[in-house]
Amino acid sequence: MTASKRLGKELSDIRSANFSFFKDIHVDESNLYIWKGLILPNKPPYCKGAFKIEINFPEMYPFKPPKITFITKIYHPNIDEKGQVCLPTISPEGWKPSVNIITVIEELLKLIDEPEVEHALRADLAEEYLKNRKKFLQHAEEHAKKNAEKRS
Amino acid sequence: MSTGDGCHSDMDYSDDDCGYADYYNTAEDCDSEQINVVKADPEYTVCDYLRVEDVERLLNESVETLSNSLQVTPNVAKVLLHAHQWAVPDIIGKYRAEDSLPGLAVAPEPADNSRFLRCSVCLSTYGAEHFRGLPCGHLFCKLCWATHFEVQISQGIALDIGCMAQDCKVLAPEDFVLNLLARPNLRDKYQQFAFRDYVKSHPLLRFCPGANCQIIVRAKEARAKRCVCNTCQTDFCFECGLNYHAPTDCTTVKRWLTKCADDSETANYISAHTKDCPRCHMCIEKNGGCNHMQCYSCKYDFCWMCLGDWKSHGSDYYECSRYKANPNIVNESEQAQAREALKKYLHYYERWENHSKSLKLEKQTLQSVKTRIHLKVMNGSGTWIDWQYLLDAAALLAKCRYTLQYTYPYAYYMEAGPRKELFEYQQAQLEAEIENLSWKIERAETTDRGDLMNQMDIAEKRRTTLLKDFFEL
Repeated sequence: MTASKRLGKELSDIRSANFSFFKDIHVDESNLYIWKGLILPNKPPYCKGAFKIEINFPEMYPFKPPKITFITKIYHPNIDEKGQVCLPTISPEGWKPSVNIITVIEELLKLIDEPEVEHALRADLAEEYLKNRKKFLQHAEEHAKKNAEKRS
Repeated sequence: MSTGDGCHSDMDYSDDDCGYADYYNTAEDCDSEQINVVKADPEYTVCDYLRVEDVERLLNESVETLSNSLQVTPNVAKVLLHAHQWAVPDIIGKYRAEDSLPGLAVAPEPADNSRFLRCSVCLSTYGAEHFRGLPCGHLFCKLCWATHFEVQISQGIALDIGCMAQDCKVLAPEDFVLNLLARPNLRDKYQQFAFRDYVKSHPLLRFCPGANCQIIVRAKEARAKRCVCNTCQTDFCFECGLNYHAPTDCTTVKRWLTKCADDSETANYISAHTKDCPRCHMCIEKNGGCNHMQCYSCKYDFCWMCLGDWKSHGSDYYECSRYKANPNIVNESEQAQAREALKKYLHYYERWENHSKSLKLEKQTLQSVKTRIHLKVMNGSGTWIDWQYLLDAAALLAKCRYTLQYTYPYAYYMEAGPRKELFEYQQAQLEAEIENLSWKIERAETTDRGDLMNQMDIAEKRRTTLLKDFFEL
């Protein structure tokens, strides 16, 4: 009851706000608990592409946090090969029921634009990011050119 | 605080003899010395073994003291105590100086003029009387609070349940949670978890790590000292709860145990109980704790650890416990270095594992010693009291083996240098001493105990020397 009410409201709010960084939101009307959308990062090396994500809301939402998975592959220290991302806001310990999904998306964009190497999921990329920034940016951009979605 | 809570410190001490308790102990004059040795043993700390009710009473005393001296409700006192590791004087000192208790003001009244509010979690609108909030002022409807608590409690969280607002760090006190929780089984669960959290936040309290044991240990000081639960007999380190591990410290022993678990396959081959006699190649099973072996078939005396002649072990320099590193290893190939690293690990692991096995075998030896004493007494050769020294010696042997076992992880991680050399020298000395002791106990035929008592004294001194660094740190 609470979950569908919150999800319906959050979805219509996001759609009417028409954000530039979170677009093409697809939600099956029969199942409000799974959302798909495009994330558009602001800074290089990712700003030329768009990345498709899936958001899974638990039945106990908003008392339990949603899960976010990248469907588009991305070359990033904090996102692993399976598309899993470690975001403190939606960790079981860090989650707060009053937080809206758009706040979570903003946090996610911040993480994409500024990788946090201390909490890296891919140690090899974190090392490259720290030791050879130029090479990392080059790899990430090439990877995005090959794999990312179009921005419009 | 009084220690009348079911604590009998003298009884507790007898447990360190690995259950070799005997009540003849005080009957012999020499034993008064032995008791002193035990009391001076740096490993032990004075502990109380408390039941849940005792601990609840103890914690309530602190709560009462604090709530009286700061003039706050017991619930506020509990939050303060939990947040400040139960250091009553510190809390009083800190908050007396200030006029108000920050973050602990009375929960706010809904200041809104309208009588209706919207809950930002469920997005429903209710009358203001349906809303509650913590001192931070974030209001949510009662239903959402209750669901929030249920979800958190089902994940095992109790005292760390926080406000539902974004980035708000304010925690919900016990009475706030209990007032809003509807389901009685969850209230019980919450109170259990809260008790667990209180004990865990108390620096001088620990749950006994024994399986299903309800005992809570209270120490006088929070240090890596040895506790033996008076109920389930679990022997553990007060600091980390693992098996007691002096002279190795808590972090190192954890590293060592993880390493052993990871490398168990490589180490498996050595765990075999049998070896071949180095002279006649008869297959020999080790059935006692002593490393001094004698082949049944050819009577050759050899060392179980290195398979060398025992003659070289009895003298003043026992080298079997010392690892000899290849001094030229840095110039060798990578494979050679890996081989050397494995060799080094196996050296320490083998000795660690051997003592652990010997300790178990020593229990069998104790049984046979008891049988032997029984026979001797029946045949009129000495009385029970005369033979008592043998049991004391066996207890001391077990204690020394235990300490020796834990010297190997310590030595493994020690940096090469004079400190390590000295440590391994002292370790070797105790090794030699206890192998002697072990051999003698297994074969003692008379009540002539002077020699053995002397040896026991030396062994205990050597053991204490090995522990010295650990307790002076």
